[in-house]
Amino acid sequence: MDFWFSYITLAEIYVLLGLSTNLLVGIVGIFSVSQAAVFGVGAYIVAHFLLAAEPMSFLPALGIAAVCCVLLNVLVTLPALRVSGDYFVVTSFGIQLLATAVFTNWTAGTGGANGLPGIPPPDLFNHPLESTGELTLLCTAGAALGCLAFYLIMRAPFGRLLRAIREDESAVAAAGKNVLRAKVSAAALAGAFAGVAGGLYATFLSFIDPSSFDLDASILLLTMVVVGGARTLAGSIIGPFLLLALPQVLTLLDIPTTIAASMRQLLYGLLLILFMMFRPQGLAGEKL
Amino acid sequence: MLWLQLLVNGLETGCALGVVAISFSLIYATTKIFHVAHAGIYTMGGYLAWWLVTLGVPFLVALLFAVAACTAGGALIQSQLYARLERRGATHLVILIASLGTLAVMQNIIAAVFTPNILQFPIPWASNVVVLGGSVRLTWAQLLTIAVSLAAYFAVMWFAHYTILGKRIRAVASNPFLAQITRLRPQSVYVIVVAIASAIVALPGVLVPLDLGLQPYGGITPLLTATIAMIAGGVGSLTGAFVLSIAIAELQNLSLLVMPGEWSIGITFFIFVIFMLFRPTGLFAAR
Repeated sequence: MDFWFSYITLAEIYVLLGLSTNLLVGIVGIFSVSQAAVFGVGAYIVAHFLLAAEPMSFLPALGIAAVCCVLLNVLVTLPALRVSGDYFVVTSFGIQLLATAVFTNWTAGTGGANGLPGIPPPDLFNHPLESTGELTLLCTAGAALGCLAFYLIMRAPFGRLLRAIREDESAVAAAGKNVLRAKVSAAALAGAFAGVAGGLYATFLSFIDPSSFDLDASILLLTMVVVGGARTLAGSIIGPFLLLALPQVLTLLDIPTTIAASMRQLLYGLLLILFMMFRPQGLAGEKL
Repeated sequence: MLWLQLLVNGLETGCALGVVAISFSLIYATTKIFHVAHAGIYTMGGYLAWWLVTLGVPFLVALLFAVAACTAGGALIQSQLYARLERRGATHLVILIASLGTLAVMQNIIAAVFTPNILQFPIPWASNVVVLGGSVRLTWAQLLTIAVSLAAYFAVMWFAHYTILGKRIRAVASNPFLAQITRLRPQSVYVIVVAIASAIVALPGVLVPLDLGLQPYGGITPLLTATIAMIAGGVGSLTGAFVLSIAIAELQNLSLLVMPGEWSIGITFFIFVIFMLFRPTGLFAAR
C-alpha cells in the first residue's frame, strides 16, 4: 500500500513539474532543459528553512521558494528572450550545468554530493503531516490546485495570448501585444510551479541530493511532456504517471544494475526521437 | 610563473575548443539547426579511438577511423533525422527536441558499453612532458592538440573560401532559397556540411581526452562553451568563433588564480550574459 501511495505522491509532484515544463515548452514553444535546476532551487530553499536552527513552518518556506524560483526564471529568461530563441537554448543548458555545479560544490549550503538528509515532514497550521497518507493528500491538493490554475490560465486572455505567440509571434506583436513580457510572465509562472514542486519533493523524500536535479532530470521532464502530449492539461498528467511507472517495468527485465540508469536515460532519449518523428503531439496533446 | 603556465594551458584548451566552435558554427550557420547531438559525436569519436587503441591499433589509425566514423554518424543524423523531420514540416522546437534525444541516446549507449567512469588512453608518450622556456610544461598530447587544431582551423578557412564545395556551402548558408533556384540542392549540401563538421569535431574529440581522459557525459560542457564562443564571436564568422574560444579558455584558466576550477562554468556563463546584454550580435558579426 505504501508503495502505491509513494508512487502516486511522486507522480503528483511530477505533474506540477510537467505543468511547468508544458507551459514553457508546449504552450509558448521555448525549448528548456533547465526545469530540473529550478525544481532543485525550490527543493534546497525549502530544505534550508526547515532545517534551520529555528525551523520555519512549511507554507511560508514554500512561498519563499516559489518567489525565489519566479525571480530566478525571470532573471534567466529576460536577457536571452530579448535576443532570440536559440540564445535561450544556450542559457538553459548553462543554467542547468551551473545549478548542478552549485548543488554539488557549495558544500556549506547544499551538503554537496552527499545531499541534505533529515528534512522534517511538512506541517500545516502547526500540525505535522507524518504519515504517507497525509503527505499524499497534501500533494494531491497541491497538484489539483496546480491543474486548476493551469486550466484557468489557459482559458483566460493571457492563455490565449501565449497560444497566439506560439502560432505567429510577429502577428501578435503587430496586434500591439508585448511579446517579451508575455513570454517572461509565462516563464515566471513556470518557475512558481517548479518551486512548489521542489518544496513538496524535499519534504516528501526528506532527503535531496544533486542527482535529482541534473540535466538527466531535465530530459526526463521534457520526455514526460512530449510523451503525455504538449499543450494540454491531460498531457501533463498522463506523462508523469506513465514515465514514473516505466522504471518499475524495466526492473522486470533482467538488466544489470550497473547499466540500469544508462538504460533508463537511453529509453527517454529514444522516446524523444520516436515521438518527434511519428507523433509530435504525444498521447493526448496538440501539435508541437 | 604560474600565470604563464595557465596562459599556455588556456591556449591549448582554447584551440581545441575553437575547433569544436568552428565545426558547430558551420552546421548552425548553414542548416540553422541547433545541433545539440554534436556533443554526442564529439564523445563518440574519443571512445571509438580509445577502443581501437586498447585493441592495439596504432594511435594515428585509430584517430583516422574515429574521424571516418564521426563523419558517417553526422551524415546519418542529418539525412535520416533532421531531413525527415524537415520534410514533415517539423518546427524548430521539434528538431531541437529530437536532437536532444539523439544526444541522450548516444551518451547512454556509450555509458552502458564503456561504463560511466573516467577512462584514460593507454598511450605512454602522450603524457611525456616537454619543458618550454625554462618553466612552462606541456605534454605531447597538449602540443599535438595545439598543432592539429591550428591546422584544422586554417584548413577549414581555406576550404570555405577557395574550394567550389566551400563556396557552395556559403551560398546555401547565406540564402537557401536562392541556392535552391540555382540548383544547389540545399538538403544535400546540409548532409555534406554536417558530415564535414562531424569529421572536424572528431579531432578535438580524440585529442583532448588523450590528456584529460574520457567521460560519457563529457561532451556537453565543451559544446556549450563552444556555442557561447560562436555567439560571442558572431554567428557565421569562423575566425570570430575560433578567437573567442581561445579568449574564453584563457579567462577560465586565469580564473584558476582566484577560484577553484569547478566554478569555471560560471565564468563561461557570465561572459555569455555580458554578451547577451551588451553585444548580442557578437564581436565579428558578418551581417
